Amino acid sequence: MNMSKVVFGFFVLLALTLNFGFFLGEIDNPDHHNVYELFAALVVGLIATVMKLGERSQMSAMLLASSLVVDLHLIAAALVWGIAVHVTDTGLTPAVMATIVSLSGGALLANLLSVVLLTMDTAGYSR
Amino acid sequence: MHDSYIFQFFQRMRIPLVVLISAYAIATVGFTLMPGVDDEGNPWRLSLFEAFYVVSYTGSTIGFGEVPYEFSAAQRMWTMVSIYLTVFAWLFSIGSIISLLQDPAFRSSLQRSRFRRAVRAIDRPFYLVCGHGDTGRLLTQALTDRHFPVVVIDSNRDKIDALSVEPLRAPVNAYCMDARLPDNLCEAGLRSRWCMGVLAVTSDSQANLKIAISGKLLNHRCSVHARADCKEIADNMRSFETDQVVSPIDEYVRRMYLAIENPSAFRLFHWLQSGPDARLPEVRQPPRGRWILCGFGALGKAAYEMLVKIGMEVTVIEADSRIPGLPADAIQGRGTQAETLHEANIESAVGLLATTGDDIDNLSILMTARALNDQLFFGVLENGLSSHALFRAARPDFIGQPSIVIAGAMLSRIQSPLIHSFMEQLIAHPKELAAGLLRRLQSWQQEAPPELFTLRISPRRAPAIATLIERGLKVPLSALMRHPAHPESTLPIEPLMLCRDAENVLLPDPATELASGDRLLVAAGTGVGHRLGRLVDNENTLSRAVTGQDIHPGWLWQRLFSKADLTKSP
Repeated sequence: MNMSKVVFGFFVLLALTLNFGFFLGEIDNPDHHNVYELFAALVVGLIATVMKLGERSQMSAMLLASSLVVDLHLIAAALVWGIAVHVTDTGLTPAVMATIVSLSGGALLANLLSVVLLTMDTAGYSR
Repeated sequence: MHDSYIFQFFQRMRIPLVVLISAYAIATVGFTLMPGVDDEGNPWRLSLFEAFYVVSYTGSTIGFGEVPYEFSAAQRMWTMVSIYLTVFAWLFSIGSIISLLQDPAFRSSLQRSRFRRAVRAIDRPFYLVCGHGDTGRLLTQALTDRHFPVVVIDSNRDKIDALSVEPLRAPVNAYCMDARLPDNLCEAGLRSRWCMGVLAVTSDSQANLKIAISGKLLNHRCSVHARADCKEIADNMRSFETDQVVSPIDEYVRRMYLAIENPSAFRLFHWLQSGPDARLPEVRQPPRGRWILCGFGALGKAAYEMLVKIGMEVTVIEADSRIPGLPADAIQGRGTQAETLHEANIESAVGLLATTGDDIDNLSILMTARALNDQLFFGVLENGLSSHALFRAARPDFIGQPSIVIAGAMLSRIQSPLIHSFMEQLIAHPKELAAGLLRRLQSWQQEAPPELFTLRISPRRAPAIATLIERGLKVPLSALMRHPAHPESTLPIEPLMLCRDAENVLLPDPATELASGDRLLVAAGTGVGHRLGRLVDNENTLSRAVTGQDIHPGWLWQRLFSKADLTKSP
């Protein structure tokens, strides 16, 4: 067993699960979506991106691309949240919440792809 | 991988970046958990947004103070924690970046990719010089003087580093790598469409052979010039059509032979074939009689054979008696001592050639021999350029400088591919021809060797001449020698050879009419070359030189002064 592979897999998977946890719930209900979970998903997503940097295989290029998509979505979601609450005083209206959650939904898809790719890679490797 | 240094960078920065992100995340979350009070005394906590704001300016040591409200004790405690956390994370990351930038492996991959990009960005004809010894330096100097970019590779880092401080007139990209590997040659631009030629001038003949093969196989359009020190390798190179194989021994012996048999041709040869710094040599005519040859290495052997062939008596002095082919009457000794020279009857000899592999030995032979008989003709081999000042001071009659000989031969070939066959023909002709040509070239009264040009009479290379010929005008060779503005005076231009239908005419008659498809080798005085270029490009200038009047390319003018008028003119 390779420790670095464990750490790598851990972060990729954790990014997906946190993202899913935030995404779960009614799309426009602020009570169903915790800001800390979004923050954690973003931080873990960034760490996963850094872990993927510097890899050179074709698979890792795709992994890195999907990770960058995740970061982009989650940063956009965090920006919408910050602007709505602190800059414009709109507050967390259902419309804003729906935007944030749907952005995180996009990130979820990319995260899912990351995990699928990683699984395929591992499966191919063991065969 | 083309941008491998970027990958290397991220690979090495992985841990510092993860540490940095984690430190920021912990500090930010910590702030939101610390209880505080706002300005009205209500319990209050920072939101994630405000917390990230505080951490951002604290981590970067900007420090705006406590916003939006004054911090509680718990928040101040956490501020301390986050300061230490983030500042140390930053220090760690920056330290990693600096140590990475100083890492020799990373630096070399960075330099390599810079070199690769620079080579790829070259968008005009350039030359690839492999090996930056004495020869390579001369070649680089001469090629950059003609404003050709040059790519230099050498396996010795010191030589490459020394190149970066030399003042050169065109961009030179140098990189330290092994030229024997074809991949390295490709990186150095061998397959580029602008690569005009590969010059393999390393001191290792085997390496030159490898470079020549790679050059021929990987880019068949570029010309390959290679130095070969021994006959087997030279033959091997010729077998796969290396464009030019220069063997310093052959060149040296050939010049020596010419100096004895055809002095004018030798002087001309030396002037034209020794690079841009060559001066017309004032050589004493080597006398006929008995010669002493010190050193029987590859050059000594070749010189011995040449001298015997033209009917000279030769006494050989050589320290090593086991060399194959050594004549039976050879005297064993070093030649640096007076006894050995006495033994070789130096008093009755007419000339001496010092051809050992050691420069100081050669000089010592020369000095000792001069003390014994100062009427001798002294020929001496100079192996490296570093002791050139000593050789100059010793004033031998004839110096053999392998590096200058090689560089000169390659440069004249690069300048004009016809020069080789011109020289061959000139040598084959009677001596008076060479003497006459030399007199004419000397009459220009310039010290630098004439510039050589090859003109091809074709619509692409010489549009003006081609157009005039197409319009039925007769363009004689002398038109090129006339001054365009003052047709009665001539320019210092001398046609050397005319190639027509695989037939070479040496020193063609100025009245010869040019025809489409001709190739012409022309010698021109310094600074006249561009005038010749203008003449060949511009119909008006040319027609003024040919007929004394302008040709008018416009439709109306052509109607008014139809071409019949032009052809009628003298």
